[in-house]
Amino acid sequence: MELGSSILENISVAGDAAHISDKAFISLVQAACQGVLLEEHRNAVAENPAFKDTDKAILKEAYSGLVTLILEAAKHDSSEQNISSVLEDCKFTTDRISSFAKEFLPQKPHVQLLLGKISSSFPHIVDVDWRLDYYIKNNHLEKVNSAVYLISLKTEVPGSNDIQEVQFSCSLEQLQDLVGKLKDATKCMEKLTQG
Amino acid sequence: MLLVFEDSHKEHLSFLVGLEPEVLREFCKISMNFIRKGTNPKVFQGAAQKLGVSAESVQHGVEGLMYLLTESSKMMLNEIDFQDSIMTLGFDDDTRTTLLEVYLSQRKDIRDILNEVSMDLPHYHNLEWRFDVQLSSRSLRHQVSPSILLQLQTQEDGEKKTQMLQTDPVNLIHLTSVLEEALQEMKSGYCRRIVRNIK
Repeated sequence: MELGSSILENISVAGDAAHISDKAFISLVQAACQGVLLEEHRNAVAENPAFKDTDKAILKEAYSGLVTLILEAAKHDSSEQNISSVLEDCKFTTDRISSFAKEFLPQKPHVQLLLGKISSSFPHIVDVDWRLDYYIKNNHLEKVNSAVYLISLKTEVPGSNDIQEVQFSCSLEQLQDLVGKLKDATKCMEKLTQG
Repeated sequence: MLLVFEDSHKEHLSFLVGLEPEVLREFCKISMNFIRKGTNPKVFQGAAQKLGVSAESVQHGVEGLMYLLTESSKMMLNEIDFQDSIMTLGFDDDTRTTLLEVYLSQRKDIRDILNEVSMDLPHYHNLEWRFDVQLSSRSLRHQVSPSILLQLQTQEDGEKKTQMLQTDPVNLIHLTSVLEEALQEMKSGYCRRIVRNIK
């Protein structure tokens, strides 16, 4: 994990007892973790009564430093040791290093989960509905008499909250072909995970 | 099931009565071409000159024949019903046999053509898949997320459409098993009973 000098400065501000009291520090780390994880806690530092005695400009610097550290440490999956050495360089006391680790490390997997979601991807299939019809006749043709499946793939698209649908129809033979190919894929995947 | 002819249709078909078998076959061939590719009035003129009749009666004969063949194919008439249907039109045995032969040999083609003009839903054409493992992204390094990329080809009115989709192992297994169940459903007693009873 490599951080720019201005970021390191901001982190140092958070660790400096002259700017941020011990009590306010723990609240700040908690607020930074919550701010990363939950949208409604984002930028909710200014109104937080825990920081009423802290200078607003200082608070802003410290908060941005901690948020960047949290995101970068999660992004690179940094170990406690890694994080400690960064914080040591920023002149954190051992107490503050361990309280940062205590607050942040349990949240790291959650932050990583969110970071993992940020990516472009094709519509992701999450479910499927099907319906079986028996096609009897139409205005041009009597006695068609064949099975028709209507398949609706439910997909999630990154950046959208709605479930989208991909719909198409299949004859019995076409569905056999489709299922055959999906089974191939499943088998291949199972082989890979076993080997 | 029998075909019911309207008077005008009977009149048009009456032109075919008494034609030589070869000539009738030629007419059948022309009718099939027209069913496949659309009509071509020039042909009527030529045939009318050869036979020494009016172009209009040739046109009516061919159109009557086209209607007879498409309607019978549409209804999927069996051999006996087809013969019974044309019984009253005054054809001799040879003509009836020729018509039956033509009908039976062309029925599948005509039904395919009728199927093409029928309403079409976007339907499955092909599926390609590949297995990937995502290792890293701009926002998160050190990942191991398996994903299955699917390229789905569907077809509607002869036009193919390709869509890229993806899924994860759990959903792939789910998708496969749900669609397999769907496939099995067609073999269930209930569905087989319905299929048996709709004839």
